[in-house]
Amino acid sequence: MNLNKLTIEENNILELLKTVIDPEVAVNVVDLGLIYEIHHSEAENTIQVVCTLSSRGCPLGDVIMKNMEVVIENVYPVYNINIELTWEPEWNPDMITEAGRIAIDS
Amino acid sequence: MQAGLSTKNAPSPNVVLPHYAFGALSFLVAATMLFFAAGDLVGHYLSPKLLSITHVLVLGWITMIIFGALYQLIPVIMEVKLYSEKLALVNFFIFGTGLVLLSASFWTFTFGRSIMLETGGVMVVLSMVLFAINTILSAVKTEVKNIENITIITAIFWLILTVVLGLIIVLNFAFQFIPGSHLQLLKSHAHIGMVGWFLLLVVGVASKLMPMFLIVHKLPRKLLVYAYILINIGLIALSLGYYFFNEPWFLTLSATTVIAGIVSFLRFNFIAFSKRIRKKLDVGMKMSALGFILLGISLVFGLFSVLSLEFTSQIQTRIEISYGVLLLFGFLSSLILGQTYKTLPFIVWLKKYQSKVGKQKVPLPLELYSDRIANIHLITFVLGIIMLITGILTGTVLIIQIAAVLLIITGLLYNYNVFKIIFHKEINHES
Repeated sequence: MNLNKLTIEENNILELLKTVIDPEVAVNVVDLGLIYEIHHSEAENTIQVVCTLSSRGCPLGDVIMKNMEVVIENVYPVYNINIELTWEPEWNPDMITEAGRIAIDS
Repeated sequence: MQAGLSTKNAPSPNVVLPHYAFGALSFLVAATMLFFAAGDLVGHYLSPKLLSITHVLVLGWITMIIFGALYQLIPVIMEVKLYSEKLALVNFFIFGTGLVLLSASFWTFTFGRSIMLETGGVMVVLSMVLFAINTILSAVKTEVKNIENITIITAIFWLILTVVLGLIIVLNFAFQFIPGSHLQLLKSHAHIGMVGWFLLLVVGVASKLMPMFLIVHKLPRKLLVYAYILINIGLIALSLGYYFFNEPWFLTLSATTVIAGIVSFLRFNFIAFSKRIRKKLDVGMKMSALGFILLGISLVFGLFSVLSLEFTSQIQTRIEISYGVLLLFGFLSSLILGQTYKTLPFIVWLKKYQSKVGKQKVPLPLELYSDRIANIHLITFVLGIIMLITGILTGTVLIIQIAAVLLIITGLLYNYNVFKIIFHKEINHES
């Protein structure tokens, strides 16, 4: 996970991903800690997001990932967007941000 | 498709939703039947009306919704496609028709030959076999071999044994080809169905879903393995014991083994609830938690049923009926009422909004039903169960009828929400 050294564009993408809500817990995917990496390359015209899900066989997994792709595509229509799913490292509740923890019980 | 993603495996909602609709209506029908059969609950449990209500509950309500949910869940948790959606839909009609015939003929049953009962029984058995074929042929393709999936498959095997034994009992009423008491066969049938089918299924499904809903990780999964082993060993001993070795010490030992397995499963859930990140429970999880509490209480009644102690001898039959009622109307109904809100809105939401997320503003799944109505029927349900057990234990028909009215109100409100979800009209507005 390396979300601390993001470029301005990658930060913008992170903000866009905050509009993607997990429909079960009603919390955005960034605060849930599901986003591991964001890579933006103007030269190669690509955007790559490496993410995970809170559990294997998550019934809403591909809807959430499709949602990520759509919100990025809306702002970066000419880019090749790749949303990559990984299970390494395995997600755990410690990855939820403070804002996420507050939102889960609100 | 990337491993672990399952939405694309999910069957058409047209296969799943009729099961929920039929199930919800069956709950209402069972509660209404309870009102008219209140007097039978203070008598012997081998009463035609009680048999009828029991079958509407276990088949029409609980099993019907479980079938619908499993058609949705097996592809999700086993990461495979359902073997045949067409078979599932045809099976829905066979099951529904068989159940109506079976329950209607039980209501006026005289413990002799009944063509309607036998036809209904055969149709129900056929539908269970078709369900087992469909789900097992789906499951064999899975690469995910964990304790949850093994438990679900074992439960399906017990289901087949339950209905085959049930059919043998029905035929034995007419042809008397098995010597001995019907009651012993009936006890085996009831326990195999209750413990082998329902309970093992709950163990398998809940151990997958509860951590997901509660947001909790690193749970002691060995408790699930203990539960699986103890419940199966205890159940085999108990079901054989009722017919072949009806000694109190043996039955008590078998029942204790099952109970030890259930305690292990309850311990798993207790740890999941204690360690959960999501402290605030939504209405679906409140009802599910209530279900587990009711399971714990019913175990106490179950133990008293098996032990037949001196000081409870005056009300022994009432304790046994309370035990059955707590399991069916209490534990399983509460769990299914709750899990409806954790599954049905998502199934409909996926159908309506899957392709629209990110492109327009979409409601959340929980906005597809009235949370207020759900919370009200949680209260009427709790009051109904308390009144029902009080009425049975004190032998007061009026209290049972008041309980039935409370459960009818529960059924009406629950049906309102179920049909509100099923017939949800898509909201279309650009973001």
